[in-house]
Amino acid sequence: MDIVMKTVNALWQVIAVGLLLGAGLPALFSLGMRSLERGRVPAPAGVTTASADGTVASTSGKIGAGICFAVTILAVLFGIVVIIFGKQLFH
Amino acid sequence: MTEALFILVVVIVTALAFDFTNGFHDTGNAMATSIATGALKPKAAVALSAILNLVGAFLSIEVALTVSNKVVSIQDSSGVPIEALMGTPILTIVFAGLVGGILWNLTTWLLGLPSSSSHALFGGLIGSAIASLGLSGVKWDGVITSILIPAFFAPLVAGLVAGIGTWTVYRLVAKIPESRRDAGFRWGQIGSASLVSLAHGTNDAQKTMGVITLALIAYGSWTDTHAIPFWVKAACAFAIAAGTYIGGWRVIRTLGKGLVEIHSPQGMAAETASAAIILSSSHLGMALSTTHVATGSILGSGVGKRGAEVRWGVAGRMVVAWVTTLPAAAIVGALCWYLASVIGGAVGIGVVFAILVAAAAWMFSRSRRTAINPNNVNAEWEGGLAVTEQQDAAQETAKVPAGAERN
Repeated sequence: MDIVMKTVNALWQVIAVGLLLGAGLPALFSLGMRSLERGRVPAPAGVTTASADGTVASTSGKIGAGICFAVTILAVLFGIVVIIFGKQLFH
Repeated sequence: MTEALFILVVVIVTALAFDFTNGFHDTGNAMATSIATGALKPKAAVALSAILNLVGAFLSIEVALTVSNKVVSIQDSSGVPIEALMGTPILTIVFAGLVGGILWNLTTWLLGLPSSSSHALFGGLIGSAIASLGLSGVKWDGVITSILIPAFFAPLVAGLVAGIGTWTVYRLVAKIPESRRDAGFRWGQIGSASLVSLAHGTNDAQKTMGVITLALIAYGSWTDTHAIPFWVKAACAFAIAAGTYIGGWRVIRTLGKGLVEIHSPQGMAAETASAAIILSSSHLGMALSTTHVATGSILGSGVGKRGAEVRWGVAGRMVVAWVTTLPAAAIVGALCWYLASVIGGAVGIGVVFAILVAAAAWMFSRSRRTAINPNNVNAEWEGGLAVTEQQDAAQETAKVPAGAERN
């Protein structure tokens, strides 16, 4: 029974963290991509960085995307900290 | 050179060889999806992964001396060998275990099947421990809690998380034109795959460092159980990085092309799920195998995308390999221990080492018949690992851009 309890206990935590970060971060990244997409405006004359359809991301779209990507990057940095110092942090 | 020193040197060389196979066997766990979707060129992917494994190995500050303590009773709780086994006996057990692990890693690599290197090592150690100490040499409850239960749940948990992640991602980005969508997700893929590589370098190189330090303690040239010699750390770091750079193309091909036809958003969802689960599980009381998690994530990313083809037959073969890993490596480990002990001393160890080299050379020559390399690793999956000559020729002339299919 002890093994079962320990397993269940560890398992639900792993699934919870997995869903929050493992599924949540790609979703956040997707929101960032969506934000870049929303309100795309035709490229002003002379802009060469436009996509194939001749549009560029709007400023508000870039800000929204920037926030999403920044949080994603912070999570990755946190991951690196866990890789290096995990044992000291969690045990 | 004394007999004991000779045995020590052979054990260290064998441990580094295991570390090397650990590297190339697991390159695919981190990089297969990035290679399959074209986020990274094959050679760039293995180079990046190798560097991160190297850095990860040097970053490891943990002393994994007691890692074998979970499954076999050859050390006390601080990691020092049991008094009765000090010297040659424990070196022989560790050596036979390592040979079992290496041979199983090479076999599964030849078949192009991802399988857990840690399980192969533990299997080998269990076999040699049973051979030398009897059934009481193995901690069976440890085998259940730290090997069997995690092996069962790892692919399920990873598949669930990656499946939900993939499904959500495709819901969110449905309206984004494919070219821009994939360009964005390729960056996400590279980031998440890098994290998996770094974690792999830290985790897996540590195990070999622990094994070599254990051998040094058994020999009597090291006594500190809270530190490892720097040269051991450096040697293990370079061995795993070199292995990673060689790239287990056969395993990469199966993971990247064999299981699921994978696209960038799936790749990012799969690798992020892997990274999150590998990192969290090792700190939440149930360390899960990188290989099992990565494979489960890739499968999940196929299940989570509507209309994606998942080749369950390939997945089935992997499950067979996983179930076989522990007993197969154990049998080899036990046989090697018997052989080394019957012949005895340095000669026994030398004979087993010669057999290991011969078997490895034979498997390498077999692999050349259906060689998988950076040029053909992404060829269409036509019923199996092998790439036909026509496909090979086609790969040479025209590189098909990945992700051409519409969602």
